[in-house]
Amino acid sequence: MKRFIKQFYVGLIFFFLYVPIAVLFVLSFNDSLSRVHWGGFTLKWYTELVENAPLMDALVNTLLLAVASAGIATILGLAACIGMTAMKHSSRQVLTMIAQIPMLNADVVTGIALMLLLARFMNLSFGSVLIAHITFNLPYVILNILPKLKQIGTSTYEAALDLGASPAYAFFKIVLPEIFPGVLTGFLLAFTMSLDDFSVTYFTKGPGFETLSTTIYGELRKGIKPQMYALSTLMFLVVLLILFIINRQSVKEERKIKQQKKKHSLSRTALCLMLFLLPVTLSGCGKQKENYQNEITVFNYSEYIDPEVLEIFEEETGIHVNYEEFATNEAMYAKLSSDAVSYDLLGPSDYMIEKLMKEGRLQKIDKSKIPNLKNLKKNCLESCESFDPGNEYAVPEFWGTLGLLYNTKMISETEVSSWDCLFDEKNKGNIIMSNDMRNSIGIALKKLGYSINSSNPKEIKEATDLLIRQKPLVQAYLTDETRDELVAENAAIGVIYSGEAYLAMEYNEDLAYSVPEEGSNVWFDCFVMPKDAPNKEGALKFLNFMLREDIASMNFEYVYYTTPNQAVIDSQPDDIKYDDCIFPTDEMVSRGEPFTYLGAKGEKLYSESWKRLKSR
Amino acid sequence: MANKLIELCGISKSYGSNQILDDMNLYFNENRFLTLLGPSGCGKTTTLRIMAGFETPDTGKVLFDGVDITNMPPNKRPLNTVFQKYALFTHMNIAENIAFGLKIKNKSKAYIDDKIKYALKLVNLDGYEKRMPDSLSGGQQQRIAIARAIVNEPKVLLLDEPLGALDLKLRQSMQYELIRLKNELGITFVYVTHDQEEALTMSDTIVVMNQGYIQQIGTPEDIYNEPENAFVADFIGESNIISSTMVEDKLVNILGTNFKCVDVGFGQNRPVDVVIRPEDIELLSPEKGIITGRVTSVLFKGVHYEMEVMANGREWLVHSTVMKNVSDEVGLYVDPFNIQIMNKPESEDEEAVKIDA
Repeated sequence: MKRFIKQFYVGLIFFFLYVPIAVLFVLSFNDSLSRVHWGGFTLKWYTELVENAPLMDALVNTLLLAVASAGIATILGLAACIGMTAMKHSSRQVLTMIAQIPMLNADVVTGIALMLLLARFMNLSFGSVLIAHITFNLPYVILNILPKLKQIGTSTYEAALDLGASPAYAFFKIVLPEIFPGVLTGFLLAFTMSLDDFSVTYFTKGPGFETLSTTIYGELRKGIKPQMYALSTLMFLVVLLILFIINRQSVKEERKIKQQKKKHSLSRTALCLMLFLLPVTLSGCGKQKENYQNEITVFNYSEYIDPEVLEIFEEETGIHVNYEEFATNEAMYAKLSSDAVSYDLLGPSDYMIEKLMKEGRLQKIDKSKIPNLKNLKKNCLESCESFDPGNEYAVPEFWGTLGLLYNTKMISETEVSSWDCLFDEKNKGNIIMSNDMRNSIGIALKKLGYSINSSNPKEIKEATDLLIRQKPLVQAYLTDETRDELVAENAAIGVIYSGEAYLAMEYNEDLAYSVPEEGSNVWFDCFVMPKDAPNKEGALKFLNFMLREDIASMNFEYVYYTTPNQAVIDSQPDDIKYDDCIFPTDEMVSRGEPFTYLGAKGEKLYSESWKRLKSR
Repeated sequence: MANKLIELCGISKSYGSNQILDDMNLYFNENRFLTLLGPSGCGKTTTLRIMAGFETPDTGKVLFDGVDITNMPPNKRPLNTVFQKYALFTHMNIAENIAFGLKIKNKSKAYIDDKIKYALKLVNLDGYEKRMPDSLSGGQQQRIAIARAIVNEPKVLLLDEPLGALDLKLRQSMQYELIRLKNELGITFVYVTHDQEEALTMSDTIVVMNQGYIQQIGTPEDIYNEPENAFVADFIGESNIISSTMVEDKLVNILGTNFKCVDVGFGQNRPVDVVIRPEDIELLSPEKGIITGRVTSVLFKGVHYEMEVMANGREWLVHSTVMKNVSDEVGLYVDPFNIQIMNKPESEDEEAVKIDA
């Protein structure tokens, strides 16, 4: 009985450890967007993965970075260990402790610290990320090599000298082979650490350089695509393989049979690989600095520009674009505030633009240099005035509404014409609310007839109380997964952005989109120019280029979010032009309100109310 | 004095403020079994490492066959070392281990193969060529380490507590093995140990060291029977060391009773240390002893009984094959030849001068 419980317990642990990976594995072959319904076996996510050029670039970057940083860290770490072994006991202990601090330190802290330091001496790019990765890899290498060196002691080295070996010969023929298992484990551990690092990479990378983790993070906003399941599955298999090699190595070491020759060749292969990849890496470093006369640095929402568009711009103007992406306004703000990189253009949302304006971080845009401004939709610019009076700072890039995605089989069109449906007992368990603080509180405010930008404590309390009463009806508070849940028909209504809704309707014909009559949020993502933009001229050229009809059209077809470009709208076929999800009617827009900056006090009030709701 | 093989002249060595060796002088000739004996921290291993070249002395010179090798790196020195922890190369098999030094010297393959066979035969491990070090027992590994060293035909083999990690039985059989090896090879062994029994069994010459100074140099018999000071007497075997007064030549007053002895030249009424080995005290009937006492404890030790006898206000350690019972009254008798008189040391640092080994 006791034995059974023991085995059951171990089984349970393994179940919880590996079931998530198994789910991932299965979903990567699922021919349906849903996370719960099996739509048949498919390899299409794998083919799409391979065809996804930015993702493949990121993969190459990641692997290059991992091999190079692990390789260099191994060489440095090995040298450090040898030095440390020769030290007096007390100073060695102190140094070992110091060497291990980066490992215990939170990644975010390491990342920010390295960013601040490296930004002083170099452009943030592949080079800076490489240095950062070497830094946090070193402790893992040292941790693996030092015990091995201690284990063989100094007498092994001395014995070699005693038998006539020169110091170098003794090191390469005796010491290195003896500690090789530790060196290999250190290298592989460093390799995997580098492979899945996000925080440090995120802070130390510059525009134009992405690794897998930063790319995936950028895509979070739009929901994780099944391609990612495929990629994750592949990565898991690679890590599994590495693990297998490590284990085999140690088993081999234990057996110590006559396989010596093989082991030598393995170490030689590893060494060759490292030596081969080093120049490749360094040339990669150099490539980052191709000689463009002129360059601009753009920091934009992820997946807002067709990569081909950037190539066309570079060809036409000879201006190189350092393109960097962010996933949330807040992440953009953090990076901007660090002053690590000077940007020429940013692409934040309405309320963030107002915040940056009020903090004096933006400069007015010279409209005379952007003739293509004439292509912009008139009422769009009018709406923008709520956060940018006189349209002096912001050039709209994409916009849309916040509304309801609903399943026509489960709920009627008349019901969803009001926010009331989200508070109706009848829909209990079929409602997905937004996990965004301002969206959810904003909806409650609208239902109560207040402004979406209210900072009146009484109104906000009323709205929060309403949301607390609603909570039992809500199935989940989600952001990016809302689309997939409705596609999978796990819920009847969900709060969603218009752009996402359009995508969802492509996947499931029974879905429809509605903006309730009480009015909603109209959001705008616009280009703005920081005060210290180094290449103002180039930035203006870029803005004019982005507003050109053919270019705006390419981006529209890439993103399928609402474009503010009238010329593009006019050229669309009727079924798209009159789809009020992708192109909201003037009446819908007039009912909507953009978010404005609440000020520090207002922000605090909102986040406290939000905490009150979520902690229930 | 003709052919000093190794000579250490005025060697001093310290680590920080810790003085390990102070102006040490020592030399020895060919074909000796020399043992550096002392408690841990006495400087014996440092002395060995200075000979091997792993340490450089702060002052002084190391001469080999009259040539100064003080600053010669270890890989150029014509001597080899056997380490306490064997230090075999675990990623090589036994044959490769033994061939290591010969390959560096670019010897022919036939020569190397011959040497491996010869060396393995010498250490009684024929046929172990393809084995890996980890598959061998501690004693076997140590014998391989010795084989690996001697194939290089050194004139001196340095052994740093080579039996320290082995169990008692194995240690004893390895002692005989080492004596046999030394005799077959006809080279000098310099052996470091803290085990006095090991030193007495194997050595031609023992160098007793303490706190960086040589305390006494001599044959095992000299060291055991005529220790020059209380440290040596105490360190080599068990003994009764008693603070006494030399009344006159051939008469010493021990704890208030006069004992006859054979030593002369200490002067009159001088304070001295007296050493009496426990096996040299005879237990007789009370009236036959020089002094009388009462047995306070008896332990059976196999070959003999170890007893403590209270006499003249002191516990005397006695080894005897005749058993007495606790609280028996006994007479203690010591032959004058077995009373060893020593000068009281002026200081702990008292050092013996060099003695022709």
